[in-house]
Amino acid sequence: MKVSRHWLSKFFDAPLPPAAALADALTFHAFEIENVEKFGEDDVLGVKVTPNRGHDCLSHRGIASELSAILNLPLAHDPFGQTPQLAPATNAVSVAIHEQALCPRYIAGYITGVNVGPSPAWLKRNLESLGQRSINNVVDATNFVMFNLGQPLHAFDAGRLSKKAGGYKIGVRRARADEGIEALDLKTYALGYQNLVITDEDLNRPIGIAGVKGGMPAAITEETKDLIIESANFDGVSVRRTAAGLKLRTDASARFEQGLSPELAAWGMEAAAALIIELAGGTLEGFVDQYPVPQKVSPVSVTLGQVRAVLGAGFDDTDICKAFERLGLPYTAESECYTVTPPPWRLDLAIAEDLVEEVARIAGYDRIIPKPLPPAAGKPELNANFYRAEEAREALRLKGYSEIYTSVFAQAGERAVANKIGGEKPFLRQSLVPGLLDALKANVPNKDLLGLKEIKLFEVGTVWQGGKEVCMVATAGEKEEAKETPLERFGKAPDQWAAYPAYVPPPAQYKPFSRFPSITRDVAMWVAGAAVDPELVEGLIQKEAGELAQKISLFDRFEKAGRVSLAFRIVFQSFERTLTEKEVNEIMEKVHAALKAQGYEIR
Amino acid sequence: MEQFGGHLHPLSSLIREAGKIFSGMGFTLAEGPLIETEWYNFDALNVPKDHPARDMQDTFFIKDEQGMVLRTHTSNVQVRYMEAQMKKNILPPYRAVVMGKVFRNEATDMTHEAEFYQIEGLVVGEDITMEHLKWTIQTFFSELFKGTQVEVRFRPSFFPFTEPSVEVDMRLTGISAPEKLRDTWVEMMGAGMVHPQVLKNGGVDPAQYRGFAFGGGLDRIAMLRSGIDDVRLMHSADLRFINQF
Repeated sequence: MKVSRHWLSKFFDAPLPPAAALADALTFHAFEIENVEKFGEDDVLGVKVTPNRGHDCLSHRGIASELSAILNLPLAHDPFGQTPQLAPATNAVSVAIHEQALCPRYIAGYITGVNVGPSPAWLKRNLESLGQRSINNVVDATNFVMFNLGQPLHAFDAGRLSKKAGGYKIGVRRARADEGIEALDLKTYALGYQNLVITDEDLNRPIGIAGVKGGMPAAITEETKDLIIESANFDGVSVRRTAAGLKLRTDASARFEQGLSPELAAWGMEAAAALIIELAGGTLEGFVDQYPVPQKVSPVSVTLGQVRAVLGAGFDDTDICKAFERLGLPYTAESECYTVTPPPWRLDLAIAEDLVEEVARIAGYDRIIPKPLPPAAGKPELNANFYRAEEAREALRLKGYSEIYTSVFAQAGERAVANKIGGEKPFLRQSLVPGLLDALKANVPNKDLLGLKEIKLFEVGTVWQGGKEVCMVATAGEKEEAKETPLERFGKAPDQWAAYPAYVPPPAQYKPFSRFPSITRDVAMWVAGAAVDPELVEGLIQKEAGELAQKISLFDRFEKAGRVSLAFRIVFQSFERTLTEKEVNEIMEKVHAALKAQGYEIR
Repeated sequence: MEQFGGHLHPLSSLIREAGKIFSGMGFTLAEGPLIETEWYNFDALNVPKDHPARDMQDTFFIKDEQGMVLRTHTSNVQVRYMEAQMKKNILPPYRAVVMGKVFRNEATDMTHEAEFYQIEGLVVGEDITMEHLKWTIQTFFSELFKGTQVEVRFRPSFFPFTEPSVEVDMRLTGISAPEKLRDTWVEMMGAGMVHPQVLKNGGVDPAQYRGFAFGGGLDRIAMLRSGIDDVRLMHSADLRFINQF
């Protein structure tokens, strides 16, 4: 989530430290920071809010509250500091929730006589700093409150809703299978039973996709005069499924799908109504609040002993009290037991360990000092499969086989995955052999480059055959039939006193290689006698052939009648392009000429 | 010209080395199936039914086999291991390490593979703290990057199966540290104290025992260690890559 430093500063009287310090504070005590970007004079932090805090930290208030605790700066202007007042009540709007489980609370606010127009500069700037587009003062006000408090809101044009017996009626129900809606993005969405909608109850017509997006039938326009503001609570799972199903993930759905506290809705409504009247004028006619089952908050306890058992003996009473006080968590302490009554928006605090985490975060994880594990009781149990696999690897490596890892996905098999991206090779392999043969074919053209006489490969891997998941060992080579053996039949079973293979290749640094094809040339020559050092000849070839000669190796040497024959193999390859036969031939002519100039006779 | 010995895949070498280091610390090597039930892969680990990780795009579901997936992490072995020990009437302390293939249903690029390898550690005992977790990870990396100075730090994070949860960063100093890694903090693993519900799901009494767990990508560790820039090389079966190791 994008968070503006300027926006955050409004919660504090004390000046905020620079953006880099805020980023550090959040990184080591709350959330990862993805980036910090400039927006004019402002800094905008990309905060990666973890899923356990999405319900209270996808807002500037949430991040400000974290910073207040971490930096020990009082949250001087906390919008949640006072109980929201939703007065007066109005009879002009009524709300009928037909799916209580999917909509635990619905507040409607009725405002008449507004002037829809452009937003003031401060509001435009705030929204733009988050990459949002300013639309008009009413819509911007609802968006501002969402980014400020974390409660999504929506404004309907009351003038476009039906009015019966002097009142408007909002409905919340599941969509019917034959229903659709044109949303504010001007796209038409086909709806169904799994989607919750907001309706004009009397017309039985959807006017919004609950928690996701408003609809065109009641969209705010420049002509809008009367508003019905929605501040509601929707079930997170239902909103997530709807947003995913319609491929319509919005800032509102991203918040609802975290599962929000229904208490937030009241703060959201109070703030939105006040801001709309400030920006667009109008008269607040009143509110209607459907909230049949208020949220229950359960106290959570933790003892000093539990904190120490998790974090270590270095933590004490002061760490615990400091964390709770700074985080604004009301608590009582009695004989080293601390009982927190979480504020309604802290839905994540449910067990003692959750409180331990708060203590650790605020104190800082650098307070945890590494401590050796107690000595192990006896030798660890030997894993027979791992032992056999390691034995197989050693045996094959020593026989000149190189180990490859190939994909488990195949063209055919007994079992398959249901949802592979692209749909290619959905089956799970029954055998390692086809993958091994493909790899063999792909590696053979690189044989000279690799300096190998023969490509020999092996794999130790899982296959699915005969209804079972089995580990196999397979080998393949140019001069042999591919073979596959179940791991459990490979080698001997270990006894408990055996040891895993000791040999570990030293860690090497990877050198990028060319992906272009190579061209191989051999050159054989008679040199005067045994005194000629093949390395000198190789150096001469390298000098003439230049850097396109990737590999030069002596592959034959024999003596006959006092003369010595040397044969070299040269592999040409470029990092930038495919070489042509012609240019390699030209290089070879230069090589031949240089060798002849030494008095060697090219064979 | 002589045919030299073949080459181990760099991941196999890393697995062998990690196995040695953890065996030396008293860890046993544990394993679990690649086709796994949703219970061991998700529910038993406190990943709720509606968690985004369970959405279709992240997890491979097995066709016509209700509730079966390709495991998305080696954490599936946590509850399996504890359960197996308890069935044998072996009470904690436990020390187990798991290394193996895991799957994510996502598009591949230089840093993402649908098939990759993870390492997972689990320690359960009566007096296990986060101090032991930090020591264990620090010791592992110090052995793996022998000859360099290894520092480890924790940052807050979230995993459903640990509480508290942390990200583990590592910094190497000293001239023998690989150049790309020297003097910079690099994210290496996720870790935390085993969530009491997970202990309970493994049949272990959370009132008596605590534990820690950690897990990370082996491909990533191998790539950082050897300066490999593309994870797809690991699974390319290309000897131009493998025979460098």
